[in-house]
Amino acid sequence: MTRQTAATVPVRSAHGRDVRARHGAKPPTNRNLGLTSPLHVGALAALAAAALVLGVWSMTRVDPHQIGGSGLIRALPAAYFVALALSLAGFVAALSLRRFIPALLTWQVLVTVIILHGPDPIIHGLPRLEASFRHLGIADNIAQSGQLDTSLDAYFNWPGFFSLLGMLSSATGVQDLVGLATWAPLGINVLLLAPLLALAKPLTTNPRHAWAAVWLFYLASWVGQDYLAPQAHSFVLMLTLFACLLSVFSGWAWPTDRNRLSTWLARMVSRLDGSVPRQGVIEPSRGNAAVLVVVCSLVLVAMTVSHQLTPFAAIPILAALLLTGRLRLRFLPVLAVVLPVGWLLFAATAYVQGHFGQLFGSFGDIGANTVGVLSERVSGSGEHRFVVYTRLAEVALVWGLAVAGAIRGYRRKVPWLMAAAGALAPMALIPAQPYGGELLLRVYLFGLPFAACLAVLPLLSDKTGLGWRRALGLLLLGSVLATTTVVTRYGNDGMESFSDDEIAVVNRLYSTAPTGAVLIEAVRNTPWKFQHYADYDYRGLVGGEPSPAKATFSCEAVNQMARTSGAYLIVTESQREAAGLRGSTSLQDLEQFIATCGTSPGWKKVFENAGGVIFHIEGVGNGN
Amino acid sequence: MAIERSYVSYATAAVAIAAIPLSFFGPGGLRLAVIGLLMLAGPGTALVLLLRLAPPRSVQAAGALPIAITIAIAFSLAVSTLVATAMIYARLWSPPAGVFLLSVATLGLLWFGLERPRRSLAGVK
Repeated sequence: MTRQTAATVPVRSAHGRDVRARHGAKPPTNRNLGLTSPLHVGALAALAAAALVLGVWSMTRVDPHQIGGSGLIRALPAAYFVALALSLAGFVAALSLRRFIPALLTWQVLVTVIILHGPDPIIHGLPRLEASFRHLGIADNIAQSGQLDTSLDAYFNWPGFFSLLGMLSSATGVQDLVGLATWAPLGINVLLLAPLLALAKPLTTNPRHAWAAVWLFYLASWVGQDYLAPQAHSFVLMLTLFACLLSVFSGWAWPTDRNRLSTWLARMVSRLDGSVPRQGVIEPSRGNAAVLVVVCSLVLVAMTVSHQLTPFAAIPILAALLLTGRLRLRFLPVLAVVLPVGWLLFAATAYVQGHFGQLFGSFGDIGANTVGVLSERVSGSGEHRFVVYTRLAEVALVWGLAVAGAIRGYRRKVPWLMAAAGALAPMALIPAQPYGGELLLRVYLFGLPFAACLAVLPLLSDKTGLGWRRALGLLLLGSVLATTTVVTRYGNDGMESFSDDEIAVVNRLYSTAPTGAVLIEAVRNTPWKFQHYADYDYRGLVGGEPSPAKATFSCEAVNQMARTSGAYLIVTESQREAAGLRGSTSLQDLEQFIATCGTSPGWKKVFENAGGVIFHIEGVGNGN
Repeated sequence: MAIERSYVSYATAAVAIAAIPLSFFGPGGLRLAVIGLLMLAGPGTALVLLLRLAPPRSVQAAGALPIAITIAIAFSLAVSTLVATAMIYARLWSPPAGVFLLSVATLGLLWFGLERPRRSLAGVK
């Protein structure tokens, strides 16, 4: 199926005449036989290499100081977009070749991934998002202590991913995993390639369609959950689970003529989508199938111990697989429910008891979990609001194309139902809770691998090759999505990326503050906690997320925190960026707070550089 | 696309064997590369070689490559995650022991793969 050359070469014409005869005395050449010349293949591979070199070079030319409220797009040179365009054109050209060459497509997609998802590590050379630093600290804490302190925070109730990092750190003696965190976005996207392709194959009609879907996923994946985090780890596992189930265990879990309901369901599914998946389907022996059942179950368990949300997202998708006759393992959706619920009840009991209201307070409130969250997100500076609106537009475009693809799939009688069910199923999470305002982002991400399979349907033909019109359409769509993703994915780059100066401030804080001291961040967006996770009392004055009532600063609040034994206040550039961008507080208030309180009695500036400033506030106790 | 099974088997075995001493000593970069590779793909690669999802050197083998790589990585990550988590909950935190377990699992699966009849056990479309 993958090397279609032999099957698709028109050696004989439709009338049975020999091609060679049709071309007279001409010798059989690649052109005469409709083959793809090695020169074309080499040229496309070289084009991708040129795009890669140009893309990486252009990223090294970016001045991070030019990154403003609209994110990275303002700072990127024109050469970056030329490289991006070359990589997109190269992929479409490779997909349009008569000969299907997976190795060339792999190379093209990897180049696009590096150009589109590589700017953070290449430009900044530091981990993206303050959460990356926190995650390193949790792993470090586990590696050092070998224990879980669930009183520290919620992460310790789902320690799978952090234990894995801790084991890696301890067993290799490499305590500083900052490099790993820095390159994680690129590494995770590369890791996703095989699961995405394995998942797309049984959801589509031919390999070109599957590759186009994978390409589209990368172009529309702006959510940025690919940093060193449990959700990225669990997302890889979840995609594998679905790919494995669709490839190996596709079919009805019960006899379709068992009762009226099962007969009706089977008839309904068959009427909507009567296509039988053929590509990427494996028919293993009973022994191998049993081993793969164990593998799928272990993957579910690993997801359960690692992340609080992803296993719950798997439940509706598994249910959709079951109800559309794509999952023979009846017990697996049950296991998918039992595991995370059991974990909540027995392993994360302390967390559930302490956060019951937060967990279940908005259960069923669809309005609050959707419109409420969206209205909170559309806030901050004008440039930030533009980024948020662009995100909404990109989501609308992908979903619009997916709907069009579903309609086209239904009319053309090609597989579409499972992809549509997989794209819609994560929405079942919406009534549960807003997940800190991030649920809609996650729902989009969970559904994207499925939606991408539908979104490319209108632009692909069932025949070999694309034809120039379809190729042009695909290139146009890819260009729009990729350019939009540069805006949407890197729209918060000002606050999500950090500088060496900021890390120097944090390091100075750790070398200055004695163990157990109170450390205060003015706005919650500091690259700290990557070490000494449990050694200090970390506090924040203002949240990074926008809230209906703008928070204000006061010297008294800090003095209260420092009352007993003193405290250290840290204000960094990325905190200022976060305040200005998200609008969680007024930037003017923050500057005034620093100017006023910094000179008040008991406050002393300990350190300052271009990345931020540290103040020591004396306590009444021992003056620390 | 057909990849020599034997080369992959030797490489996987080499990584699994090398990881055991490297979990105690050695240059940091090498330890990170070898142990990281074991945790990322060791047991899973051995499992995929054992399962033989498609006859070697066949068109089906190329078609099965994405799912084979997927299972190799996900199984390795899942097993590594579960070993590390089990050590934490059992209060038996010993990362070199965890690496040893992963190495033994990898070598065991490779050994079973060698013992298994060489006939194709599955077909892929």
